[in-house]
Amino acid sequence: MSLNIRYFAALKDKMGMAEEAIEAGPDMATGDDLIVWLQARDNTAEALAHPSVRMIINDEITPRSTPIKDGDTIAFCPPFSGG
Amino acid sequence: MANIQIKIQTETFKPGDWIDQISGNDEACGAVANFLGQVRGGKDLLALELEHYPGVTEKALHKIATQAASRWKLEHALILHRVGRMEIGEPIVLVAASAPHRRAALEATSFMIDVLKTQAPFWKKEHTTSGSHWVETRYEDNAAAAAWLDEKEEEMSR
Repeated sequence: MSLNIRYFAALKDKMGMAEEAIEAGPDMATGDDLIVWLQARDNTAEALAHPSVRMIINDEITPRSTPIKDGDTIAFCPPFSGG
Repeated sequence: MANIQIKIQTETFKPGDWIDQISGNDEACGAVANFLGQVRGGKDLLALELEHYPGVTEKALHKIATQAASRWKLEHALILHRVGRMEIGEPIVLVAASAPHRRAALEATSFMIDVLKTQAPFWKKEHTTSGSHWVETRYEDNAAAAAWLDEKEEEMSR
C-alpha cells in the first residue's frame, strides 16, 4: 500500500526530510506497525517511537493503534509548543 | 451560539484592532477578556520561529473555541495565532472572549490559551546567538491543559 508520511519540527530535522511517499506490504495494519517498519528501514526513525510523539492521520489527531489504509497521509509530530 | 473567529497569519497585528471587533456595539456583552502572548527576550534570543500543520491547526483551534463556547455563555470567541518568524516584543497569539458577565469571559480565555498550548499543532524554534533549537513543552503547560480537560471529564461523568 502507498502512504504519504510527513514529519514536523524536530522530527523533520531528525529524519532529514519534511515528507516522503512509501510503499509498504499489506501486513501494515496500524500506526504502530508503520513505526516498526520505518525503524527497520533506518534507525534514525527511533525518535518516532518516543511516547511523546503524536500521530495525525488524514488531518485527525489519532492514537497509534488506529488502523491505516492505502492512500493515507500520516504525520509524526513532536509535542506541541504553541501559544 | 457564539460567534467564533479563528485566524492564522504570518504578519504581526495590533491587538486593539481585534479587541475592538468583539467589543462595543453588542448589547449582550458586559465583559471582554483577552490574553496576548508576545516574544520574550533574554537568554541570547534573537528571534522566534513558529511552524504549524496547515489545515489541522485551524481545525484544532476551531474545536478549542467551540469547546469554550459550549462550556461558558459567550458572545464571541477569538483565537489569532501567528506563524513564521517573530522578533522580540512582537505579538504571537491573541485569545479573547466576550460574554454577558466577566467570569465566563475570563475563564473561557484561560481555557483557550491553556488548551491551545498542548492541543494545537504549533512548534516554536528559538534562534539564539549560540544557534537554533526547538522549544520543548513545559511540564506546567501540560498540567494546565490537563486540569481543564480532566475537570471537564469529571463534570461529564457526574
